[in-house]
Amino acid sequence: MTSITLRNVGVDFPIYNARGRSLKANVLRRVGGHIDSHDGEIVTVEALRDINLELRSGDRLGLVGHNGAGKSTLLRVLAGAYEPSRGVAQINGTVSSLLDMTMGMDPELTGRENITLRGIFLGMTFQEIAELTPAVEEFTELGGFLELPMRTYSTGMTLRLAFAVSTAVQPDILLLDEMISVGDANFADKAESRMEQVMENSSILVLASHDPAMLKRYCNKAVLMNGGQIVAAGSLGDILEQHSGTESVA
Amino acid sequence: MASIKQTVSAPIVAQAKDETANGPGLSRRAWIDIIQGFQSWRVWWLLGIGDIRQRYRRSRLGQFWITLSVAIFIAAIGTVYSALFKQPIEKYIPYLATTYITWTLISGIIIDSTSAFIQAEGFLRQQALPKSTFILRILVRNFVSFGHNIVVLPVIFLIFGVSPAWTWFAALGGLVLIAVVGFLGGLVCAILCTRFRDLPQIIQNFVQVAFFVSPVAWQVDLLDESVRHWVIINPFAAFLQMVSEPLLGRLPGAITYTSAAATIGVSALIAWVLFRRFRQRIVYWL
Repeated sequence: MTSITLRNVGVDFPIYNARGRSLKANVLRRVGGHIDSHDGEIVTVEALRDINLELRSGDRLGLVGHNGAGKSTLLRVLAGAYEPSRGVAQINGTVSSLLDMTMGMDPELTGRENITLRGIFLGMTFQEIAELTPAVEEFTELGGFLELPMRTYSTGMTLRLAFAVSTAVQPDILLLDEMISVGDANFADKAESRMEQVMENSSILVLASHDPAMLKRYCNKAVLMNGGQIVAAGSLGDILEQHSGTESVA
Repeated sequence: MASIKQTVSAPIVAQAKDETANGPGLSRRAWIDIIQGFQSWRVWWLLGIGDIRQRYRRSRLGQFWITLSVAIFIAAIGTVYSALFKQPIEKYIPYLATTYITWTLISGIIIDSTSAFIQAEGFLRQQALPKSTFILRILVRNFVSFGHNIVVLPVIFLIFGVSPAWTWFAALGGLVLIAVVGFLGGLVCAILCTRFRDLPQIIQNFVQVAFFVSPVAWQVDLLDESVRHWVIINPFAAFLQMVSEPLLGRLPGAITYTSAAATIGVSALIAWVLFRRFRQRIVYWL
């Protein structure tokens, strides 16, 4: 059963300045004593605080908030990349985070080799990748370019390839930081319908976006984040209204 | 559309160190990380091979530059040092070849592991991947490199008339032990170097010094008998001899294996304590 449970989750980032991160500072702190006490303290940034979240199959959650509100950090916690400093995060189900689609791709490798590499990171076996490759190749429309190193590709071509592989597997939980749009008009249409299909088939969707239209189109509930906390949760309409309220105040 | 069959089947349970989670939770997750790390062999295999390919891509000789550069080193240093140490060249060059190739493997693992997590930042901040995967990638990279280096041995053995021996199988055992200590020591190195960014420089220095104080270019027999036993306390010497001696048809003594086992034991302990305590913090240090 796919589910996400976050209980009192907090994420702290220690910020080591050049001195704090070096061994010298640590050694001197023990033996010195004359160093200003401010230097000895590690500054921590509280990126998330007391996050409680309960998502079940069928939930389509929109994350709303200003820049720096903690949306991306929360997505990384949901992806399992950040293990919280405080609290409990329990994620059941396969997660696909399309936060960085080109992750693990190597510009020196050919398009085809990159399909393999990206596929491995998505948890596929070599056999499964081999079976999937023709469909991916066809989708990218890159033809002969797949035999060439990826560094010869344009940005758009690279994204086409990354998108085609990343969306070739169906996850239980899909995490998106802003709606993805790739390629020229023709490809964008194809990509959008593919994206929507993956979104529809995933049992939980979390979408962080600044675009109310996108959120309304894909989400059925939302949380409003501010300063690393969830300040409101509820229906999409209410949250968007509250968000635009804070915006006009600010 | 394919469905994901994840190699990592256990649910992601990330629990912070607080009242609700105590020691066993941390231990269990550290252990799961290591098991899943080994299970994700496709990832570290491809990354490790990719590292080698990337380094030599677009060069004509490709990865055989590894072989060529080690061959040049052995020929040059072998000729000069055999005169310097007044050793017969047909004895000295095979000795230098075996120790130097083994040394390259050991030092490569240490130096590469200092950047194991730092280099993997893009992956670790994105996806729930076992941290141990990236140590195994370093091992693959260096053992593949070793595979290219060892090509020079048959040639040297033919030229200088070193005959095959059953003891070569003991060298295989030595390589396995280097892999074990490399994983453990590499893990310690990688964790500490991610947290303290001066350490990579210190370790590089240390490895350079270790080359000269370990019996790579010089032979233990050249030492006075009164100081010979000091070599034993150098763990690098033990791992070197476990591979190089059997290749030359001699079996290292029990003391060598004892020293290696002790090193493995100590590094396993340190690795476990550090990894258990700081595994989840690594990504925050990147």
